[in-house]
Amino acid sequence: MKKHPQLLSLFAFIALIIFVVVPFVPLILSSVSFSWRWPDVLPESWSFRAWEYVLNDGRTWQAVGISLWIALIVTAVNILLALPAANALVRYSVRGRWLFEAIIFAPIIIPPFISVMGIHLTFLRLGLTETVLGVVLAHIAPTLPYMFRAVMISYQTLSADWEDQARMLGARALPRFFHVVLPHLLPGILAGASLSVLISLSQYLITFIIGAGQVVTLPILLFPFVSGGDPGIASAYSLLYAAIAIAALVGMDAALKRYYQLNKAPQDSGKGVKP
Amino acid sequence: MWRKSKPYLLLLPAAATIILLFFGGIFDGLLKSFGYFPAIGETELNLAAYDRLLHSASFWESMELTLRVAALSSLLSAVIGALIAVALFFLNESTKTTSPKAWHRLFQLPLTIPHLVAGYIVVLLFTQSGFVSRILAAFGWIDGITDFPVLVNDPFGWGIVLTYAWKEAPFVALMLYPVLSRIHGSWREVSRVFGAGDWQFIREIVVPAIMPAWAIATFIVFVFTFSAFEVPYLLGVTYPSVLPVYSYQLYTSGTLSDRPEALAVNMILAAITILLGLVAYYFSKRWNVLKGWG
Amino acid sequence: MSDLRIIDIEKRYQAVQPKNDASFMLRPVRLSIREGEFFSLLGPSGCGKTTLLKLVAGLLKADGGEIWVGDKNLTNVPPESRQFAMVFQQSLLFPHKTIEDNVAFGLKMQKVGKKQRLKAAHDMLEHVGLNEFGSRFPDELSGGQQQRVALARALVANPRVLLMDEPFSALDPGLREEMRELLSRIQKDFRVTVLFVTHDRDEAFALSDRIAVMSEGQLRQVGSARELYERPETTAVASFLGLRNILSGALKNGRFVSSDGMIEADVAKQLADGDYFMVIRPEAIKAAEDDQLGHVPVKGIVEEMKYGRGMYSLKVNTGNQLLECVVTTPQAEETAVGEPISLLVDMQKVWFLKE
Repeated sequence: MKKHPQLLSLFAFIALIIFVVVPFVPLILSSVSFSWRWPDVLPESWSFRAWEYVLNDGRTWQAVGISLWIALIVTAVNILLALPAANALVRYSVRGRWLFEAIIFAPIIIPPFISVMGIHLTFLRLGLTETVLGVVLAHIAPTLPYMFRAVMISYQTLSADWEDQARMLGARALPRFFHVVLPHLLPGILAGASLSVLISLSQYLITFIIGAGQVVTLPILLFPFVSGGDPGIASAYSLLYAAIAIAALVGMDAALKRYYQLNKAPQDSGKGVKP
Repeated sequence: MWRKSKPYLLLLPAAATIILLFFGGIFDGLLKSFGYFPAIGETELNLAAYDRLLHSASFWESMELTLRVAALSSLLSAVIGALIAVALFFLNESTKTTSPKAWHRLFQLPLTIPHLVAGYIVVLLFTQSGFVSRILAAFGWIDGITDFPVLVNDPFGWGIVLTYAWKEAPFVALMLYPVLSRIHGSWREVSRVFGAGDWQFIREIVVPAIMPAWAIATFIVFVFTFSAFEVPYLLGVTYPSVLPVYSYQLYTSGTLSDRPEALAVNMILAAITILLGLVAYYFSKRWNVLKGWG
Repeated sequence: MSDLRIIDIEKRYQAVQPKNDASFMLRPVRLSIREGEFFSLLGPSGCGKTTLLKLVAGLLKADGGEIWVGDKNLTNVPPESRQFAMVFQQSLLFPHKTIEDNVAFGLKMQKVGKKQRLKAAHDMLEHVGLNEFGSRFPDELSGGQQQRVALARALVANPRVLLMDEPFSALDPGLREEMRELLSRIQKDFRVTVLFVTHDRDEAFALSDRIAVMSEGQLRQVGSARELYERPETTAVASFLGLRNILSGALKNGRFVSSDGMIEADVAKQLADGDYFMVIRPEAIKAAEDDQLGHVPVKGIVEEMKYGRGMYSLKVNTGNQLLECVVTTPQAEETAVGEPISLLVDMQKVWFLKE
């Protein structure tokens, strides 16, 4: 083991690269190929027609917009639901806390589509199908548990002494929340938000059942192409879709870093960031 | 009084939302699986759907397929995941100066890719005219398209297994890596003091230590792939289909009497996942997965 | 006069239990603290001193009793509105705010204007010697500096009472002394009423006007440092204050005989006959050969010698008892561990108590 660390690391590095990166190669190549027949390892002719199609089509950006919009609303709702709940479990002694945890973590165990198929006709009757609202409601159950867990873990690292200190300095509940609790919870909230956005973006079945083809998110738009359509366009859409997901995550990560940096800046810039 | 009930009021929004939207949906499905459709006048509960289901051959073939696919997916991703964790470990060892964060982010890539994209990647790679087939042809190992095995949209479910192996291996690695990094260092030195060689160290200390986390991770992957829809829908065949797809096919078949059957499949699926969940919970508590090594 | 009056404040354990002795976390406490007084709660861990402090702060809800400051009943007032200030063992400076924003926080909560509060913060930082650090962040300061900021933050809003929960326990000894001096000076300058919790006897003695000794959820004795040390009311208080020379015995007709027979002497004070404990302060024992009037000779073997600052403290084994006494350095040089030594106990300086 100790004898050839360099060799083994090189081997490990290559293996990892092959495993993670190589699968993307045909995806990328396919999206910029004009015709790519077997047994060519590389396309015989190149073209950007697939990308032109994808990027110029209004439906693409509509789908991107709706997907992000839904993810955003779902995440915001999750934050509003999870924060008080986490506060309750961490700061108070609650009888039956196991019951609450069982309820809120249930969607991780029981696949959400079971609930959505069951509630479908009821949604139909309530006029929630084919609406963004309906899809948002359907996305909450699969994402809330992750947000709650992230916030709870973060909350547990905030000892009650901090809030006590703020109280002794005269801070009532709301100012305490903004000045002490929220800044501390921010990383946890962002971690939960990342998962929430990611899961919402990757939902296909429940979006399709409730949206009934009228609410067109990226996966809904993508599906016909990947299940037997033009491979070039399918690849382009897939890459776009993956890129949006990664961008959302990176974006949130960067926002957090920027928040911390801004707060370290000298305070005489008047406005500054209100923690 | 106000003080006593405050925590419950804080819990209420989250709990109520899940109960109404999630459990409400399950209950709704349960009722409908018993044939309760007040909208069309059916208000009597019966077990006809379950009866039909449990006697249909296609249901059991679905069950078999689902179990097989889930088992293979979880085993394969467990093995690959362990290899990744070890690989990361070695990388971290030798490159102490450069940030290990880069590798960590990189290998998590499959986790962030949406399922459908991962499924399509497998399509592009492993169909008979896929990328892997072309590479093999370039090396002269196969002559024609049909020499490459059918791995995608195949009745055995290989396409599904390959997709989940790729996508979930990093998850397993993510669960194992913290345990691995805690084991090394001082524990290795301690075992050296007691005269343990490298292989003994691995056998006696490393393997038992990662076993619980490994088992749990594998189990989670199993439960997830057992009840997943998107990838099998894309990469499976029409018949037999995994249980979630089977349920969907019934639900959208157009025949009204198929609806309760579809929902019955769902209920059975829910029951199985609840059972598996309880088993996982029990074992994770018993093995104290997260304690002890910190 | 805004005295802090603690009237029969008590706290029980959470579980609903029959009202017996065991269910009290803090037995009813009655204290009256003068405005501008430095008052310490002294006791070992678990004695209830922090509980009492938190009850006064309002962070814990009392199961009975009242808190008054001057003519205001603060019992049901939430901690945010009591106008008390508190300093904990950790500085708890808000990590995402600058030092001056931290210090100004209390004023901000009182809705004081920005210019005004930053000026007040700056002035207070000067008092604690940190006026250069206003725009830094807490993680850039050392532990001692952080605690000074915490003190500034507590004082800047002119609190009625300053509550302190072992604020210097986490600091190095040298730093601790510095902080004590700073606190003492500031407290006298601003005439703040301070309620100070500590388990460190020397700290309480150095800082306080009066001290309340507590143990097992109860107040045992209240008095100035000297009163407590020279006239402890119980053996428990005595031994907590470090008085180890406690002899049991009986007093009859003005003569005390210890149970182990080591001491038999006339007693200066007028005390009724009966069983007593005699407490001998180390300073009441001299190393000397000749008999002296009013002193009782005791012989023993030196068992331990420890060097203090400029003197030696000895533990002498008298056969039945280990006596602690203090000798000068020249005297210590004349003896050694294992050597016999002759001591004289000054009967004018011993103290008798019943429990």
